[in-house]
Amino acid sequence: MVMACGAAALFPLTTISLASSTATTSSLPIISASFCRLPHPQSPFCCIPTGATSIGGSSIRRRFLQLRASAAEEAEKHNVLVVNTNSGGHAFIGFWVAKEMRAAGHRVTVFTVGAETSEKMNKPPFSQFSELREIGVETVWGDPSSIGAKFGSNASFDIVLDNNGKDLEAVKPVADWANESGVGQFLFVSSAGIYKTSDELPHIEGDAVKADAGHVGVENYIGQLSFQSWASFRPQYMTGFGNNKDCEEWFFDRIVRGRPVPIPSPGLQLTNIAHVSDLSSMIALAIEKPKEAHGTIFNAVSDRAVTFDGLVRLCALAAGCEAKIIHYDPKALNIDAKKAFPFRNMHFYAEPRAAKEKLGWKSKTHLSEDLKARFQVYVTNGRHKKDIKFELDDKILDSMKVPVTI
Amino acid sequence: MVVMAAGAGAAMATSRPMHSVTTLITVDVRSTGSASFARRQQQQHKYEVASLSRPNLLEAAFTGLHCTDFGAFLCPRQHRFCSGISEVALQRSATHLQQSRKSRWAVVSASSGQTESKKILLMGGTRFIGIYLARLLVEAGHEVTMFTRGKAAITQQLADESDKDYAEFSGKVKHIQGDRLDFEGLKSKLSGTGFEAVYDINGREAVEVEPILEALPNIKQYIFCSSAGVYLKSDLLPHFEVDAVDPKSRHKGKLDTESLLQKKGVPWTSIRPVYIYGPLNYNPVEEWFFHRLKVGRPIPVPNSGLQVTQLGHVKDLAKAFVSVLQNPVAIGEVYNISGSKYVTFDGIARACAKAAGFATPEIVYYNPKEFDFGKKKAFPLRDQHFFTSIEKAQKDLGWAPEFGLVDGLADSYNLDFGRGTFRKAADFSTDDMILEKLGIKVAVAA
Repeated sequence: MVMACGAAALFPLTTISLASSTATTSSLPIISASFCRLPHPQSPFCCIPTGATSIGGSSIRRRFLQLRASAAEEAEKHNVLVVNTNSGGHAFIGFWVAKEMRAAGHRVTVFTVGAETSEKMNKPPFSQFSELREIGVETVWGDPSSIGAKFGSNASFDIVLDNNGKDLEAVKPVADWANESGVGQFLFVSSAGIYKTSDELPHIEGDAVKADAGHVGVENYIGQLSFQSWASFRPQYMTGFGNNKDCEEWFFDRIVRGRPVPIPSPGLQLTNIAHVSDLSSMIALAIEKPKEAHGTIFNAVSDRAVTFDGLVRLCALAAGCEAKIIHYDPKALNIDAKKAFPFRNMHFYAEPRAAKEKLGWKSKTHLSEDLKARFQVYVTNGRHKKDIKFELDDKILDSMKVPVTI
Repeated sequence: MVVMAAGAGAAMATSRPMHSVTTLITVDVRSTGSASFARRQQQQHKYEVASLSRPNLLEAAFTGLHCTDFGAFLCPRQHRFCSGISEVALQRSATHLQQSRKSRWAVVSASSGQTESKKILLMGGTRFIGIYLARLLVEAGHEVTMFTRGKAAITQQLADESDKDYAEFSGKVKHIQGDRLDFEGLKSKLSGTGFEAVYDINGREAVEVEPILEALPNIKQYIFCSSAGVYLKSDLLPHFEVDAVDPKSRHKGKLDTESLLQKKGVPWTSIRPVYIYGPLNYNPVEEWFFHRLKVGRPIPVPNSGLQVTQLGHVKDLAKAFVSVLQNPVAIGEVYNISGSKYVTFDGIARACAKAAGFATPEIVYYNPKEFDFGKKKAFPLRDQHFFTSIEKAQKDLGWAPEFGLVDGLADSYNLDFGRGTFRKAADFSTDDMILEKLGIKVAVAA
């Protein structure tokens, strides 16, 4: 099998495979785990020389085909438990992971904090849980601190994703139970908010984190337990179906009503809005490649940052409207930026380098396209007609002496 | 390049460092099997075949090799010697196999350090990038000729370079005198010279490349120093090589050159640096900050100081340039080359201070629109976000920047400004305009 590259005349690029003779047929001519990182029985490295029948005849080829087929059959089907928060920006990560794992043929249980009858269950993604049940995901409710009582110690889950706790107090019972129950892989949804701020961007895995952050305590603790594979995912902001928390809606609310969009100065603060499917694909890949993922922190973000002003422009484009940006200084106006604006008023920018390097993950977020799709949903839900009070906005605009309608 | 094949068995063979064109190395104890396989390949595909005979040298022979293509790499279990290369090949294979399950074989390519000596033409080479690039190329055994007007000294000794090393380098490097804007002269001076690769470090317009291509019709690779300034300004960052470029940018000539090279069917590679810094920088990037820090002046930064940009050390850039030479993966490709992390304007000021051992500077902010600075630049960097992803180069070329921002700036300071050398004298006229308007008095150190 020969591949020629563009400059074939100058640098003939060839790929040759060579299988060994299978004199020792019991051992496969695949890389041994002793010095090569062979991840899985169903590793793609059981390969067959497709065209190279010249090497040792068709017997080798047949042997490889047999081995490969059996490896595929043995490809593990997992029993995944997602421990899920009942509110907040991370809530729908569990929803998407459940769907993705179920689509891959695994057994999935979503264990949501609290009671099924809670009012919180009226909001997305919980209001859409029937979609999970329809595809065979089991949905249960309860208190994670008594997870042992819930599932017993022989629950046969081999993978646990904690998409709930923000500190050790919340996660320890789950982690301990998983460890004792023989769970093979423990995954934790952490937060990119734990990185220490710096003049240098972006936040990359390995950078200093705030030592007192709850998530840090969890990450350190999980690493000390005896899971075959553990990993932590640090997300930022997300958009997508089933979001429990407003993201782009904040912008649509203003743009669609012809209101100026107040943005904390200078407006070029960088942030990351990822489509939640990027996160679920990253977590799915970590499940598929537990050895590569083991002991790793992953920034669970898309691979593009966007400025605040840029986000207004993209939302306006998605909505097919004009937008007017008003920059203001929250401190000067005595405004609490946390209440006035949905994102941290600073550069908050992480990059998903570990996922790319270790898992071969790729981002499929296209923010401009995603926002267009989200605007369709925004309108379909009738939110553009909703009567919303913009008290803080009015306060800001008043101080800046800006008229309310543009 | 070296193509690796593996078989079962105990005996192994080493390779002599081979030249870069395809060499099949069989790692197979059943010498009959490998010999006949090799013979067939040689007949069919006309490879050179090197048989590896001494296993303990295998690892050494493969130092610097990296897998450049996707595929699986089969290696017999006993051969720990394979570990270095197989791990790398595996790692690379794994990522690529995710993308395509069709390709199967690892292609291992030799780094340029193990490639044959080339006759190389360096357009420019006496000012900044070329100074470091020429040294790396000469060290790698290539014959390097610089084409310059001869206005600056052909070579200069670096601050940390021994007399012996400098003598050796300056003795080996060659020079052709000429003005590259004299197209006829350029063409006639280069005709018949037989240069195999060109590093075009100082080209600006596409028309400047044509005479070189005409004089060297058999050129094996044209490596061009472009600029990340070609990218169209965007709200979504960082800039990746696939992003839109700005046909109206100041760097249009660089874009035109890339297009011309593509059109002419020349094997070309383009490097797009961001802001380059390092000892002997003639663009006042770090120097601008050092001048102010030295006399304890406040640093005037336009607008918020939150603008994010990217600095890349010239020595890392030179290594990147070397890594694309004779590298088939790089043909027809564009690479962003800069530092691993990005930095705010405020951050650069603080990093310069830290690198040079100055106190944390006072930063003052001004609105550039409120001033008329005439032809002078009040700040050395463009007033916008400007940074790129270097992951394509890291993945394709196995290159990675070695300098972080602070240690890179320290290298620059220690080998240049800190020794009392700089290119542009301090000019605080625009600073004074700003400070006056802001009502800030400056107590300047003597």
